Amino acid sequence: MATMNGRSASLGRRLPAPVAMVGTWSRRTGILAQVLTLAIIVAGFALGTRGKYLSWANIQTILSLAAIPAILAIGLHLTVVLGGIDLSVQGVASLVAIFVGLLMKNQYNSHDVGLWIIPIALGIGGAAGLVNGVLNTRLRIPSFIATLGMSWVLYGMAVYINRAVNIQILDERIFKAINGMVLGIPNIAILALIVAIIMQFIQDRTQFGRYLYAIGGDEAVAQQGGVKVEKIKILVFTIAGIVYGLGAALLACRLGVATSRMGNSLLFPTITAVAVGGVALTGGLGGAKNAALGALIVTALNDGMVLMHVNPYAQQAVNGVVLIIAVALTLDRKKLGFIK
Amino acid sequence: MKGKYLVVLLIAAGLLLSVTLAVGAQAKTTLVVMIRGLDNPYHANYAEGAKVLGQKLGLPVDVLSSEGNSQKQFADLRAEIAKTGGNMVVNVDPNEAPDVVPIAKMLEDAGAYWVNWWNKPPDVKVQNYPHWIAHIAFDAVGQGYFNAKELFKTFKTPNKGKIVAIQGMLANNAAIGRFQGLQKALKENPGVTLLQWESAEWDTTKAYNATKTLLAAYPDVDGVWCANDNMGMGAIQALKEAGLAGKVLVTGTDGNPEAFDAIKAGYMTSTEFQDSRYQAQLGLTMALAAKQGKLDVAKLPAKYRSWLIPGVQVNRANVEKFVNDYIKKMPTYDLSNYFAKWAGEAP
Repeated sequence: MATMNGRSASLGRRLPAPVAMVGTWSRRTGILAQVLTLAIIVAGFALGTRGKYLSWANIQTILSLAAIPAILAIGLHLTVVLGGIDLSVQGVASLVAIFVGLLMKNQYNSHDVGLWIIPIALGIGGAAGLVNGVLNTRLRIPSFIATLGMSWVLYGMAVYINRAVNIQILDERIFKAINGMVLGIPNIAILALIVAIIMQFIQDRTQFGRYLYAIGGDEAVAQQGGVKVEKIKILVFTIAGIVYGLGAALLACRLGVATSRMGNSLLFPTITAVAVGGVALTGGLGGAKNAALGALIVTALNDGMVLMHVNPYAQQAVNGVVLIIAVALTLDRKKLGFIK
Repeated sequence: MKGKYLVVLLIAAGLLLSVTLAVGAQAKTTLVVMIRGLDNPYHANYAEGAKVLGQKLGLPVDVLSSEGNSQKQFADLRAEIAKTGGNMVVNVDPNEAPDVVPIAKMLEDAGAYWVNWWNKPPDVKVQNYPHWIAHIAFDAVGQGYFNAKELFKTFKTPNKGKIVAIQGMLANNAAIGRFQGLQKALKENPGVTLLQWESAEWDTTKAYNATKTLLAAYPDVDGVWCANDNMGMGAIQALKEAGLAGKVLVTGTDGNPEAFDAIKAGYMTSTEFQDSRYQAQLGLTMALAAKQGKLDVAKLPAKYRSWLIPGVQVNRANVEKFVNDYIKKMPTYDLSNYFAKWAGEAP
């Protein structure tokens, strides 16, 4: 990424003003490769579907479908920037979904917390993230294992509470809010954009953000520089959990049914979005904008494959190939002595 | 010193007591159900059916849940054989088709009778295993066919229109069979066109995504055929967002409670209920009969060793009565004729 931005900057000095501006902008934001990828995908599918891909209805569909994966990816990417990973997204989503189902208006009990479900969902997600952080830092369990274990614990809790019932959510307020549009843009896409902007602002403009990248860049140096590494790490996992809580609540309301299985298909697309967005799995690189853009790329790709009638047998494989290519392009191999 | 002797004595007495209790427990045959997980109504109902049978017969019930993990399934079975000393009968819904071979070998060694459901490689023959009573599966082709025909009836001009299809896991016997049923219905109704199909791997979220994308491509579709109810729910939500729910109808299969609600609400045309409580009770009853010498497995003709049963077809006409009779209470099943629902030989 660094070399690419450097190159565009040096080109910028010799090229006409608009190109130079694009060069400066891409250097500042570090998303040039992703924007190019998206442009290639869009152009390819637009040609392949004879313009059908660019119909406003399809663009709305892509934006609407990318929103929840983007929110989840914005949560997960924080832990990747830190140099770790969070595999608990499925467990957190399942548990939050069950609480959303049981506490909002439903047909199995008389609870009806209405919109209070949002802070409750964020709280459950945050609590799960806090445990992840404590396991990772205080008990010194690698984040890969700690969060994988937590995912199963939370999923187990969800199954235990849920007892295999599919809970139908009768309060349609959030569903309608998600489904609404402002100037033809789905509300949920706007919400995802707001989450991305807030997170990016925190990363760019706050001390917490600087510490986050310092730890991701080189933990030992950060520690020597006086950064309270443990505290920041716990905070990062907690924030990630809160963001998953939001994503899961939105997903349950969108599907109108809450089950403990709801999280089961979320991990792969979320990690793919993070990697495709250019967040290096070695840590220290990439921000919320990358995660959100990654989700948009993955969604645009999957949508295009459906419109192009790509064989369903091949679609999953294409996603796997995209993930591997994305990691190959973003991995900072200088940080890795050995590949395991 | 005296205290130490007392502790040793107490431990010895405790051990003796537990061994005696364990031997005592083994005198009763344990009813074992092997399922894939407790997180979905279908598999959880296997356990419910077995528990009711256990209560009726005064026999202990053990539920082994593989959580979709074949190795856990084998390990759990090995532990159960050790625990019961082989004094058990088993109703198996194997995690994957090839799993039935190791399961058959383990149960053959233990001398435990068993019935298998759903998945079995066609070249594995039940007759080669004296303790394997039968392999039973639902008629998946029939399910896909019934639901497709019900869907076609609801078009503005019945049996004339365009549909999209949401398929289950592509390597799964049930998914393949149901899709064949859809193809059969399409062949019989040349007025209906299948515009496109996508796989959503039995998952609600994926079905929602696929339907939403397909609706952007084909806003004038007349129906959505789904290979199961979970995916049907996702399709209905996508249709709701597009303002088409109730106008463009959906089908499923499985008979989940929310599918009955969707049929009542006018979002879904039909589903087919697979009664896993009946499956558990039938399988365990047959296995118990074989163990007690009331059913001579060796003398059963081949058509009764591997066969199909139909589900219960539910549509708008019978949904209210069906829910009252079948869902709100557990029916008492007539288990005197094991082959009452026989609907053809299974491969």
